[in-house]
Amino acid sequence: MHRRRNQLTIAAVAFVLGLLVIVQLRAQAGGAAFAGLSSQELTVLVANLNARNDQLRREVATLERELATLVQNEQRGDASIDELRADLRRVRLYARLDAAVGPGVTITIRGPIDGSGVEALVNELRNAGAEALAIEAIRLVPGVVVSGAPADVSVDGLLLGDPLVIHAIGAPDKLTGSLTRSGGIIAQLAATQPDVLVEVLPIDTVRVPATDRDLVPENGRPRL
Amino acid sequence: MSALMARVRAIPSWQLTLFVALLALGFLVAAQLATEAPRVRYTTQERTPLVETAGELLAQQDALKVAVLDLRAQIQEAEGAGTGSAAVVAELNDQLQEARIAAGLIALTGTGIVLQLEDSLEPAAPDANEGDYLVGSLDLRTVIEELWTAGAEAIAINGERITPTSAIIDIGPSVLVNSAYLAPPYQVTALGPPDLYARLSASPGWVDFIIARAQKYGIRVQFAEPESVDIPAFVGTVTLRYARPEATSSPAPLSDPEG
Repeated sequence: MHRRRNQLTIAAVAFVLGLLVIVQLRAQAGGAAFAGLSSQELTVLVANLNARNDQLRREVATLERELATLVQNEQRGDASIDELRADLRRVRLYARLDAAVGPGVTITIRGPIDGSGVEALVNELRNAGAEALAIEAIRLVPGVVVSGAPADVSVDGLLLGDPLVIHAIGAPDKLTGSLTRSGGIIAQLAATQPDVLVEVLPIDTVRVPATDRDLVPENGRPRL
Repeated sequence: MSALMARVRAIPSWQLTLFVALLALGFLVAAQLATEAPRVRYTTQERTPLVETAGELLAQQDALKVAVLDLRAQIQEAEGAGTGSAAVVAELNDQLQEARIAAGLIALTGTGIVLQLEDSLEPAAPDANEGDYLVGSLDLRTVIEELWTAGAEAIAINGERITPTSAIIDIGPSVLVNSAYLAPPYQVTALGPPDLYARLSASPGWVDFIIARAQKYGIRVQFAEPESVDIPAFVGTVTLRYARPEATSSPAPLSDPEG
């Protein structure tokens, strides 16, 4: 009887011990995955991940439809010329190889802004979902950099005047809201570059030109 | 000494087992309490489900990326095998391949460099902002701009391809690129001319960056010049919701004010 009670005591202690080991390991693993993120930052992360996953789901649905049509055409012995052309239009538009039109905003900047200030505005526009961007007549594509000291800003080597205008296609309310929110990029610029005035105007029809850059790399080839 | 040993031997084995188990229990309880500062204990309740949700969403994202890449490969194969006028199909496929490369939808390999950026190990000065000792979105944007200026033709950060729509924003001590969560160390892979690093290191902007971030705050910047670098394809949507092709290309932007 006495021996049985001892065994039960040891079993109970071992159980609590095991439980604590698991709790400790899980707490450490969970912390390591997103170490340093506050609850508020985790909420922002979850919102961003949800948005990206929704985009990916839409892309999967689009690609599945496209593939189904191609397969049907092939089975019927029909040409898929129309599908090829539609796919080409879609990819060229995304690649900035064609001029684009759509709703959006224009941002007029007056005063001695510097290159990093313009890049910060462009980054915020992209974060808010801008689909096509141009500074004056220069379409923004990978490789185009805005640089320079205040009042000496150039894009792709072209010196910009004052005022300078950014054209952005996207949801006008979302783009405007993101730029003008309290503590947002325009508020930050007002604090760091007080002589700069930024005006955002929602527009029904924004047009941006095609890029004149050759976007096919000279030093790379498709990886098979 | 022998008396002490005799007394120890006289202790029943279950008591020794219990003693060891209780010792471990005490150690674990202390460790648990020590790892949880009061603020963390306060937020754990809301943080844990958020961490779990974020983890699940990341796993979903990985699966969706695989699905997109798989479907793209199938479509490319089906388009290449298209019937009809062989010459027209071949011409369209060539144009599509070129457009896909321009759009960043094709993984590339070629000459280039890899830069690695890591948070500083130096202790923050008493009156300093601790964030200055971490690699942030502004650092990554600066590095990318300098790489483009030096002649880079394609760039990826920790496997996320930089595209025309890529935003890089801070989220705590980490960053979001293309809304994908990236944590340090950040490996910036750039494809470009064989002398890309020589061009980069000669750039005044790069020198300013090294002085302002590596020398002043101890941000660790390393580089490698492997024989070839691999740049992954962009895995995301290329279907634009608001932009549509303009019927005729205009030479310069022209925006019509509302109303």
